[in-house]
Amino acid sequence: MATPGALPGSTSGGPEPGGTSTAAVPYAVELRGITKRFPGVVANRDINLRVRRGEVHAIVGENGAGKSTLMKILYGMYRPDEGTILLDGTPVTFRSPADAIEAGIGMVHQHFMLADNFTVLENIVLGSEPTRGGRLDLGEARRRIGEISERYDLGLDPDVLVETLGVGDRQRVEIAKVLYRGARTLILDEPTAVLVPHEVDDLFGNLGELTREGLTVIFISHKLDEVRRVADSITVIRRGTTVGTADPKTTTARQLAEMMVGSELPSPETRESTVRETPVLRLQHVTVTTPEGRAVVDDVGLVAREGEVVGIAGVEGNGQAELVDAIMGLRRLSAGTVVLGDEDITAWSTRARREAGLGFIPEDRHRQGMLLEAPLWENRILGHQTRPPAVKGHFIDRRAARADTERIMREYDVRAPGPDTLAVALSGGNQQKLIVGREMSATPRLLVAAHPTRGVDVGAQTVIWELLKDARAAGMSILLISADLDELIGLSDTLHVMLRGRLVATLDPARLTPEELGGHMTGARTAAGAA
Amino acid sequence: MTRLRRVGLALFAPVLAVLVAAVISSAVMAALQVDPVRVFQVMFDFGSTPDEQVTALVVILNRAIPLFLAGLAVAIAFRMGLFNIGVEGQYRLATIVAAAVGAAIVLPGPLHVLVIVLVAMAVGALWAGIVAVLKVTRGVSEVISSIMLNFIALGTASYLLTGPFRGSAPGASIVATKDLPESGWLPGINGVFSALGLVSPPRELYGFLPLAIIAGVAISVLLNRTRFGFDLKASGMSPSAASASGVDARAMVIKTMLLSGAIAGLIGLPDLLGKTHSYTTDFTAGLGFLGIAVALLGRNRPGGIALAALLFAFLDRSLVPLQIASYPASVVTIIQGTIVLAVVIANEIARRIARRQAERSSVLPAAAGPGAGGGGPGTGPTTPADDTDERQGAQA
Amino acid sequence: MMKTAALLLAGSLALAACASSQNNSSASGSSSSGSSAGGNLKIGVAYDTGGRGDKSFNDSAYAGIQAAVKQHGGKFTELSPNADASNRADLLTQLADQGYNPIIAVGFAYSDVLGGVAKQYPNVTFAQVDGAAAALKTQPAPNNFTGLLFAENEGSFLAGVAAALKTTAGHIGFVGGVDTPLIKKFEAGYIAGAKAVNPKIKIDSQYISPAGDFSGFNDPAKGKIVAAGMYDGGADIVYHAAGGSGLGVFKAAAAANKLAIGVDSDQYQTVGDPALQAVILTSMLKRVDNAVQKFIGDFVDKKVTGGKDVINDLKSDGVGLATSGGKIDDIKTQIDQYRAKIISGEIKVPVTP
Repeated sequence: MATPGALPGSTSGGPEPGGTSTAAVPYAVELRGITKRFPGVVANRDINLRVRRGEVHAIVGENGAGKSTLMKILYGMYRPDEGTILLDGTPVTFRSPADAIEAGIGMVHQHFMLADNFTVLENIVLGSEPTRGGRLDLGEARRRIGEISERYDLGLDPDVLVETLGVGDRQRVEIAKVLYRGARTLILDEPTAVLVPHEVDDLFGNLGELTREGLTVIFISHKLDEVRRVADSITVIRRGTTVGTADPKTTTARQLAEMMVGSELPSPETRESTVRETPVLRLQHVTVTTPEGRAVVDDVGLVAREGEVVGIAGVEGNGQAELVDAIMGLRRLSAGTVVLGDEDITAWSTRARREAGLGFIPEDRHRQGMLLEAPLWENRILGHQTRPPAVKGHFIDRRAARADTERIMREYDVRAPGPDTLAVALSGGNQQKLIVGREMSATPRLLVAAHPTRGVDVGAQTVIWELLKDARAAGMSILLISADLDELIGLSDTLHVMLRGRLVATLDPARLTPEELGGHMTGARTAAGAA
Repeated sequence: MTRLRRVGLALFAPVLAVLVAAVISSAVMAALQVDPVRVFQVMFDFGSTPDEQVTALVVILNRAIPLFLAGLAVAIAFRMGLFNIGVEGQYRLATIVAAAVGAAIVLPGPLHVLVIVLVAMAVGALWAGIVAVLKVTRGVSEVISSIMLNFIALGTASYLLTGPFRGSAPGASIVATKDLPESGWLPGINGVFSALGLVSPPRELYGFLPLAIIAGVAISVLLNRTRFGFDLKASGMSPSAASASGVDARAMVIKTMLLSGAIAGLIGLPDLLGKTHSYTTDFTAGLGFLGIAVALLGRNRPGGIALAALLFAFLDRSLVPLQIASYPASVVTIIQGTIVLAVVIANEIARRIARRQAERSSVLPAAAGPGAGGGGPGTGPTTPADDTDERQGAQA
Repeated sequence: MMKTAALLLAGSLALAACASSQNNSSASGSSSSGSSAGGNLKIGVAYDTGGRGDKSFNDSAYAGIQAAVKQHGGKFTELSPNADASNRADLLTQLADQGYNPIIAVGFAYSDVLGGVAKQYPNVTFAQVDGAAAALKTQPAPNNFTGLLFAENEGSFLAGVAAALKTTAGHIGFVGGVDTPLIKKFEAGYIAGAKAVNPKIKIDSQYISPAGDFSGFNDPAKGKIVAAGMYDGGADIVYHAAGGSGLGVFKAAAAANKLAIGVDSDQYQTVGDPALQAVILTSMLKRVDNAVQKFIGDFVDKKVTGGKDVINDLKSDGVGLATSGGKIDDIKTQIDQYRAKIISGEIKVPVTP
């Protein structure tokens, strides 16, 4: 082990928790002195990692610390410049992910790669379709999937369409897909980023089943509480190298955080109220129905005032996305009104709403927030096509757009070579900072921020929180939709809970714990409270 | 990122495509026991006298003009992710109506031509507009509806030609609309050759050339420099992001198809105004489909489309000398076909290279100032290389 | 995913567009033989769309040129237009630039461009199969142009004679492809010939498609329906002037166990199906080969006057009846009598019915 941690809980490869293993048993996965250079930068330097068979091994570190590069090396996407990979004590060389899969390594990506209009069965076999005599043999596949689902308690129905599944189920499909290909070691990249608390619990239950059956799980995360809950051992990576290992039982989150970044974790808390009287957004009886007539947003009414952050909590899929769409004019209301300031904007186009002072940080920045294949300066224009500085009359002002993009990059700490860089080349955090900077630059009256810090690293998260706080203090009204309960409680002045399309509770974030909020979100609390 | 590098990258794909096509077709020719070197020599032989050479140039340019317009029409829709397969029907219908209207009216010269041009654009736009309306209101795929409308357009054109718009004498072997009066002709512009000190060839260079160039420049400006162009491009790249940014997707489909159809309406005009002066049963067909290949080769950029049109025109001209030199004309067909395929491949390669370069270049500044973050969470160092997993995964 | 699929679709369409030109391209053949006076003869030929191998005009013209080259020596080069036939003028000018003389264009579609090209190359002699001097865009027709026309009415007259002599029902039919003046010419001759034999004969006439809709030349299914109607109505011999649709006429004849008469080429030889051969009484021949060969002969002998049309009629063997299959051998004398009367001018065959 390269750098023995100086912390109490850290070990240097000595006796491990649950350490029934002896020196004779080789590690399931072992990395020795892995170094990976890209032109001009060393992404991984002298990485050492030892993972026992049958354990959940967490790799923690800030985004940008080199975790993903490391995982890509292990998954055969990159080849290390130095160092060796050993599986069960045998050195291996991967030329492609296919080699890694062959060797029993599977990857569950943060962003699911499932075909919506295929069934679970079809998605799982996709790419390794079982054939008999050249014909698709789904019977055999169905049998094996049933077996996998049974053994690891995944609870999959092979014949439902993936588009009907929730996030947690989709993740289980991804896991089943990897298991179907015979993986003995699973790499899970930020698996909890998209999950709500009870789904996280389910996932951790599944991971337990996996390890009980002798499978090995490598768990990448920067959520330290979760890591401490689920991991059997932890390796910390900072700035491209392994800085130590830790025992989750004896190490506190704070200590881990210090290992990761060298200082305390940031807090989203804002306590001083800056709420003013003037309402900015008023929703009255807002109802959105599906084509089949089911109300996905049901009679929602709320007010957001100047200087106020109104939080919407809820388990994902309870109508938050549709509510955001309704406010932004992306979805037609079947009833109700949306009032911005003094104007009824219910019938307005999205463009008119934006021009009237609506800012938008979308939930899925790749889908709604960015043109990935376009340069940053064009992304600066997106959503602001009709307003200066990027536009002059009907023409695009390229120079001004570039200049303003540079300003945003400077002021909002967007790390990129320049305004001509393609958006796709930026990390998630930098993309998000660009979006936030872009929306803030237009000084909207109301900012609709859907999951503003999802999938971004701690550093960017702090920056974004600070920006939201500053904007609030300056009188901006913010509608915050999030799955991060700390974020919701910490930032909101008013907190609504959304369940099955309705606002079922209005809570005071100053006196609320995440656990209580979680209860409201699942409906348990509300029922009790109403009784 | 230097400008030179970007231009180089933009040129890379088409050049690669042409090279790949040349190699593949050489291999095919060799397999057919045809000497590829000799074939290429013949293709590049423009004749011995200046007269012949300039004529060859005129032939290529005259052929390239409609191809360019066809490519442009296809590309406009392509840019927003719409596949206007219906360019063929749009221009055929536009040309016959324009020919009939042009023959029926008498106006002073330039005005007469202008009316014909506007009529053609309007008809093309309307026909393409049907596709757009079907897509917007009924969700009909524009690929299907535009192919279907091609059949209807050709049938309608044939009906109009033999019915209401028939201008040729009964008994003529070629059925034609009435000839345009001379005021509706667009005279050749062989003056440029004299101006350039070249021989004026016996063939007239179409007077439509400057109009086509204007159309190309206008479309280029529209696509690259205006809000409309930005909305169009954004809709093509990501419809969801575009509508979230305030682009009205439905209106955009309609506007784009109208524009594409309007340009498609121009395709037949170089021939109509410069040569045939009437729409006949023998009017050049198939340009709409060639336009798809031209747009692909030109990567949907007006400049690229111009080069692609010239290349196709050049290949087309070489059909004749190849036959005279006793080579199979199918050689040219092979080259054209392989170019189209090679383009698809080369575009993908170029796209990947561009991406990789972008990724690599974004790693660099992180290396330039890595220590700056110093570990403080507020300014935590973010190495962009870290977020590439989903992309890599998508390729895997 | 969708995008790739659509891209492939588009690509394949484009390929299809390209591929269609393959049909039109033909290997260029040049042969030189003979040591006669015309040894330096350089004949250029520009085909109509379809190129050589169409079993029709283009092939027939090719046969004539071959025969001419055999007779007079020299060589020839043949060109086919591109897929959309937009380069017809280029074919002619490039041949002229390369020193080919005479240049023969096959098909009336060259009328649009030939006048201008002939004017541009006054020292080259041009001929156009099926092209009339009056149809050129440049009027008066340049005197280095010759239209090679055919007296289809005279050939059809003989077809009418044969039909009238062979019918047992006293009832025959005519199927025209498209209602055009050219096809009317066939009909007129046919009716006149039949009536000359039997003034009381019953003749059904029908066209597959109206003027302007050229589908009638290439719609065997409709040809079959029209002819079957005639056979059902009592006709026992049907003459078709319907191009590709004629195949349907033969099929209807085979189905009804009746007879049919082919057109343009000796269809007994080209139909390629013994069952259909059996129903082909004869074919009205349009001897493009003879016309081309004769024109080249005139050119070698410097007898081409130009500026007008040459009508290839019975007299010059430009039209005639095919005898393959031997089904009209027994009436050969009667047919030859009518032929002689037409050649002598005793019978004037009308051009409109």
